Amino acid sequence: MPREIWKVLLSSGSGRVGLAFFLALVVISLYVVATYPHDFGLSRWNNPAYWADNPKSAPPRWVNLLGTDTTPHRVWERTRPDSVTPAGEREARFYTFPFPLGPQEVPTFLSLSLGDVLYYTDPPLLSFRLGRPDGKEVSLFSYSLPGPRPGEVSPMARFQDTPNRLLLSRDEGLLRATSRFLSQEFGLQMGPPELLGKVEGVLFGIPQGEGFRPLQGNYTITVQVLAPDPRDQVGQVKLVVGGSSFGAMGTDAVGRDIASGLLFGFPVSLIIGLSTALLVTAIGAFLGMLSGFSGGRVDTLIQRSCDILVNIPLLPILIFLIFILGQKLWLVLVILVAFGWPGLTIVTRSMVLQLRSGQLVEATQSLGASRWRIMFRHLFFQVAPFILAQLIFITPSAILAEAGLSFLGLGDPSIPTWGQILEQGFRTGAVYVGYWWWVLPPGLLIVLTAMTFMLLVLGLEPVVNPRLRSRF
Amino acid sequence: MLLTLAARAATLLGVLVVVLLLVVVTLGATGFSDSILQAVIREEMKGIRESLARTIRDPVQLETAMEGRRGELVGFYGLDRPWYYRLPSTAWRVVSLDLGEARTLRSFDGSARVADIVRERLPLTLALVTTATVITALLGLFIGVSLATRVTSRVDRLLSYLSAVSHALPSWWLGILLILLFAFKFRFFPSGGLYSLPPPEERWARLLDLAWHATLPVLTLVLVSLGSWVYTVRTMVLNTAQEFFVTVARAKGLPESAVQRRYILRVAAPPILTNLILGLAGSLGGAILTETIFNWPGMGRLYYDAVMAADEGVIIALTFIFALIYVAARFLLEVLYIALDPRVRYS
Amino acid sequence: MPLLEVEGLKLRYQGASGEVRAVDGVSFSVEAGTALGLVGESGSGKSSVALALMRLRPRNVSHFSGRVLLNGVECSRLDEGEFRRHFRWEKLAMVFQGAMESFNPVLKVGEQIIEPLLQRRVGRKEAEKQSMALLDAVLLPARTFDRYPHELSGGMKQRALIAMALVLHPKLLILDEPTSALDVIVQAEVMNLLKRLKRELSLGILFITHDIALSSDLCDRIAVMYAGELVEIGGADGVLLRPGHPYTQKLLAAVPLLMEEKEPEFISGSPPDLTNPPPGCRFHPRCPYVFDRCRVESPPPFPANEHRARCWLLLR
Repeated sequence: MPREIWKVLLSSGSGRVGLAFFLALVVISLYVVATYPHDFGLSRWNNPAYWADNPKSAPPRWVNLLGTDTTPHRVWERTRPDSVTPAGEREARFYTFPFPLGPQEVPTFLSLSLGDVLYYTDPPLLSFRLGRPDGKEVSLFSYSLPGPRPGEVSPMARFQDTPNRLLLSRDEGLLRATSRFLSQEFGLQMGPPELLGKVEGVLFGIPQGEGFRPLQGNYTITVQVLAPDPRDQVGQVKLVVGGSSFGAMGTDAVGRDIASGLLFGFPVSLIIGLSTALLVTAIGAFLGMLSGFSGGRVDTLIQRSCDILVNIPLLPILIFLIFILGQKLWLVLVILVAFGWPGLTIVTRSMVLQLRSGQLVEATQSLGASRWRIMFRHLFFQVAPFILAQLIFITPSAILAEAGLSFLGLGDPSIPTWGQILEQGFRTGAVYVGYWWWVLPPGLLIVLTAMTFMLLVLGLEPVVNPRLRSRF
Repeated sequence: MLLTLAARAATLLGVLVVVLLLVVVTLGATGFSDSILQAVIREEMKGIRESLARTIRDPVQLETAMEGRRGELVGFYGLDRPWYYRLPSTAWRVVSLDLGEARTLRSFDGSARVADIVRERLPLTLALVTTATVITALLGLFIGVSLATRVTSRVDRLLSYLSAVSHALPSWWLGILLILLFAFKFRFFPSGGLYSLPPPEERWARLLDLAWHATLPVLTLVLVSLGSWVYTVRTMVLNTAQEFFVTVARAKGLPESAVQRRYILRVAAPPILTNLILGLAGSLGGAILTETIFNWPGMGRLYYDAVMAADEGVIIALTFIFALIYVAARFLLEVLYIALDPRVRYS
Repeated sequence: MPLLEVEGLKLRYQGASGEVRAVDGVSFSVEAGTALGLVGESGSGKSSVALALMRLRPRNVSHFSGRVLLNGVECSRLDEGEFRRHFRWEKLAMVFQGAMESFNPVLKVGEQIIEPLLQRRVGRKEAEKQSMALLDAVLLPARTFDRYPHELSGGMKQRALIAMALVLHPKLLILDEPTSALDVIVQAEVMNLLKRLKRELSLGILFITHDIALSSDLCDRIAVMYAGELVEIGGADGVLLRPGHPYTQKLLAAVPLLMEEKEPEFISGSPPDLTNPPPGCRFHPRCPYVFDRCRVESPPPFPANEHRARCWLLLR
C-alpha cells in the first residue's frame, strides 16, 4: 500500500512538485539543526549585542545587481599586527586596513573591537588614523585601555570573555578631530554637534556646495597599539567599516541577519506543522474509529464533544489562552491539538459508518474476527489513505495558525519563527517605509511551505477519491 | 423541523457555555480575575471618594470611611474567598461585558469602559467582513457555475492549483503585499485607516473616502477566500449536474434554464452552504489579522492593540464577543440550510 | 397505423476502450393500447433504446441513426427544440429505472409532477387539480403532493413516477425496469396499476425488463434483445410458449419454477464485449446449436410460428 501511494504521488505534476519542495524543506531543516546552536533564539537572535556590528535595516547584497548602489560591509579581524616598530622602550604595533570605495559608496559607521588583552605595567594606548585617496591624513582617535585596579597583580587581563566594542562614529574625540580636520584642510567650520550622524560623509567625502559628495578611491585605516611592555598582548583587533547592504537577505532594524533567522524557521515550521498534524491525526482518527464502531453512548459522547469543539472559533480562543497562560510554543501546539482533533474524528467516523454497513465487515464478522481486530486491521487500511491526506492537509493549517499568532505579537520569544520576523517588521513600520526584504521573504516562505503540503494533498487525490482516478 | 432547529440551537448554546467556562476558569486559576475585580473596585472607589468627600471634611475620617467601604466591596465581590466561588459572578460579568475600565485603550469619544470600546468597534468589523463575504459569494457563484458548464481537464487542473494556492495564502501576508504594491509603489490606495486626515466634511465625500479606504482590506479578504470558494462551487455544481434526476428533468421537457436553476443550483445549494459554514471560522481569524494590517479600527485591530497594551479586560471581552458572533452567524447559516434542504428537517 | 414505429435504430458511443455498439439496427413497432416487452440481460442495449427514443443521448455518443415514427410523424428528424416542446413528455414519456434518484430531493413531489403543466402555461390551480387526479389514478393519497421524495417508500415513489410520466397525457409510456428495486408484493401492485392504465387510457407501453417472466404479465407482445440486436419478436404467447431463438429458450429455461422438479438452467459464457462483437450471429459463442454458418453470417429475421427470430436454424 505505501508503494501505491508513492506511485500516485509521482504520477501527477502536483505530486512531483510537492515532493520536491518537501524534500528541499527537509534537507534545509536538517542542515540548520546540525549547524545552529539550540538556543539560537535566546543566545543570538534576541541578543542585540550579537548583531551590534551589522548595518541596520540594510537590504541584501544582491540589490546591487538590480541597480541600487550600496556600500559593501567590511569586517576585518586580526590577531597579529602587520608591522611592529620599537619606540623607545615601548613597542608600536600597526594594523593596516586598506579598502577601496566606489563612486557613490559611503560607509554607514565605524567601530573597533579589542579582545584578549594582557598587559604587564601600563595599559596600552590605541590610536586610529585614516588615509584618504586625496592624500590627506586624519588622525582621529586616541584611547587608553583601562588602567590597573588597586591591588591588581601583573599581568593585567582585560576583555578576555567579551571584546570591548568602541563605536567610533559617536565618539566625542573623533568628532572633535574631524571638526579640526575640516577647518584645517577645507576651511570649514562645523562643530561636533553638527557632525554627529554625518561624520562618515565628511571623512569619506569632499565638500561640495552645501554638503559633501563621496570621495572615491583607496582608503587606508591604520590602527596603532602602543604597548609599554613588549610582552603585552592584544589578541584580537576587529575593525568594522559599516556598509549599507548586508548578507543574503539583508538586516532588520536591530541589525539581525535576516537570512539566519529565516533559516532557523525551516525546522521550526516543519516541527510545528508535522507534530501538530501527527497528534491531531492520531487522536482524531482513533476516536473517530472508536466512535463509528462502538455506537451507543460512547459514540454519542464523542459526537457531542466534537459538535461543540468544532464550533469554537480558533483564533480568538488561541489569542486569549496564550495571552493569559504565557507565550510558549509547546502551549500553542497543545491548544491546536486540543481544538483540532474533532475535525478528523467527524470525518473518520462517517467513513467508518459507511464501510461498516458494507459487506467487508459483515464478511469478516461472520468469519469470527473479534471487534477490535476488524476495526484496526480491515477498516484501518481502507481509511488509511484518507487519514494520510488529512495529516498532510492539517500541517499547513498548524503552521499558518502559529504564524498568525506570532503576527499578533504572541509568538514565543525564545524560538524565532517566520511569523515573528514578519511581526517585527510590521510593528516597526517596515511595510510603510518599503523595507520589502524584511516582510516579503518570511511571508513567502510560509506560503511556499503551506503550498508544498497542499500540492502533496492534491497529488494524493486519486488515492483518496477513487472516482477521480480514471480521468474522463 | 422546529425540533431540529432547537437541537442545533442547544448545541450552539453549549458552545457559548463551554467558551465562557474556558475563559472564566482560566481567568480564575491564573489570578487574572482577581486583578479585574480590583480594577472594578478601584473604579467604584473613585466614585465613593467623591461622594464621601462632600460630607466628611476630616481626612483621617475620610480614609477610615473609605477603608470601611472598601472592605464591604471586597466582601461583596468575593475577593476574600478562592476564585471558584466567584465563577458564576465572573461568568455573568463577562457576558454583560462589565469588565471595568481599560488600562490605556480608549474609545473614539474617550470613554475608558471596556464595554463602550468594544461596542463601538463591532459595526466596523461587521461591515468589513459582510462586504467581503457578499462579494466573494456572488463572484464565486458566478465564476464557479460558469466554469462548471465548461468542463475540460485543463481548467480542472488549473482550478485545483488555484484553490490550493488560495488555501495556503495567509490573508495578512497578501495584505502586506498589496500595501507594498498599491500603497507604496503605486500610490493608488491608502495604506490603512478609516478616513483620510482630516476626514471630509460632506456626507457623500465622506462615504467615498470610507470606500476608498476599505478597498484594499476588502480586496485582501476576497482574494484569499475566492480560490477555494470557486473550486467548491464548481465541484458541487458538477457533482449535482451528474445526478440522475437532472436527466429526468430534461426528459420531462423542461428548458435548460429551468433545469439549471431548480435541479442543479437549488440542489447544490445545501452542500455549498455547508462549505461556507466550514469556512466561517477561517474568515473570522482572517478578519482579525487583516484589520491589524490595514489599521482598520474594528474588533480585530482592537485585539492587536489590546495584546500590545496587555489590556486583559478588553481581550476577555473580545474573546467572548467573537465567540458570540461566530455562534450567531453559524446559527443563521444553519437555519438557512434547513430551509434549503428538506432532508434534514426531521433527524 | 401503429403508434410507434422504430426502423434500424443504431446508437454507438465512445467508451474507454473503443466504440461501443450499444444498439445495432433495432426495428419494432407498438400499437396503441398494447404493451411490448423488451427483454434482455444487462448490457444488452435495452435501456439505450429507451434513451434513444427519448433523445436523451449521453455526451459521448458517436453514432446515432435510424427512423422513429410516432403516429406517423418522423420525430427522429425534428430538431431538439421542436422535439422538446411538442414531443418529449407530451407524446411519449418515460418512467426511469431507479425511482430513488429520479426525483429532485429538495422539491416537493407534487411540484415536480406539475412542472411540465406549468411549463405549458396551465394555471396553477388547474395544474394542481390535474395532479390530484393523477395521484388518485395511481392510488396515492392526495397529501402525497406536499411530501418530499425522501418521505415516500419505494413503491410510492414508483407510483409517483408513473403519475409524473402521465401528466401530459402521452400516448406512449416507456418503463425501464420499474420494479427491480421493489419487493414482490409492491411489484404486483405496480403491475396491476399498469394493466389498468393500459386499459383505461389506451396507452401504448414499452416495458423494458430483464425478467422475462414479469413481462408475460403485462405485455401483449415480447421482443428479446441480445448484444444490441433484436433476436426475436412476436406475440407474448408465441414467444413464451414456442420460442424460436436459442437465447429465448435459454432465458425461459433459466426461470425457476415453483411447482416443477426441474432445476433452472444457466447460460454458459458471458455477454460479448460490445466494442468488438463476435462476427456472424452474436450469440454463436454461447449457443448449443451453433454450426458453421452462424460463425460467419449474421442471420436476418425469419418467420417462426407466429413471430420472427434471427436464427439460421429457422431457415427452411
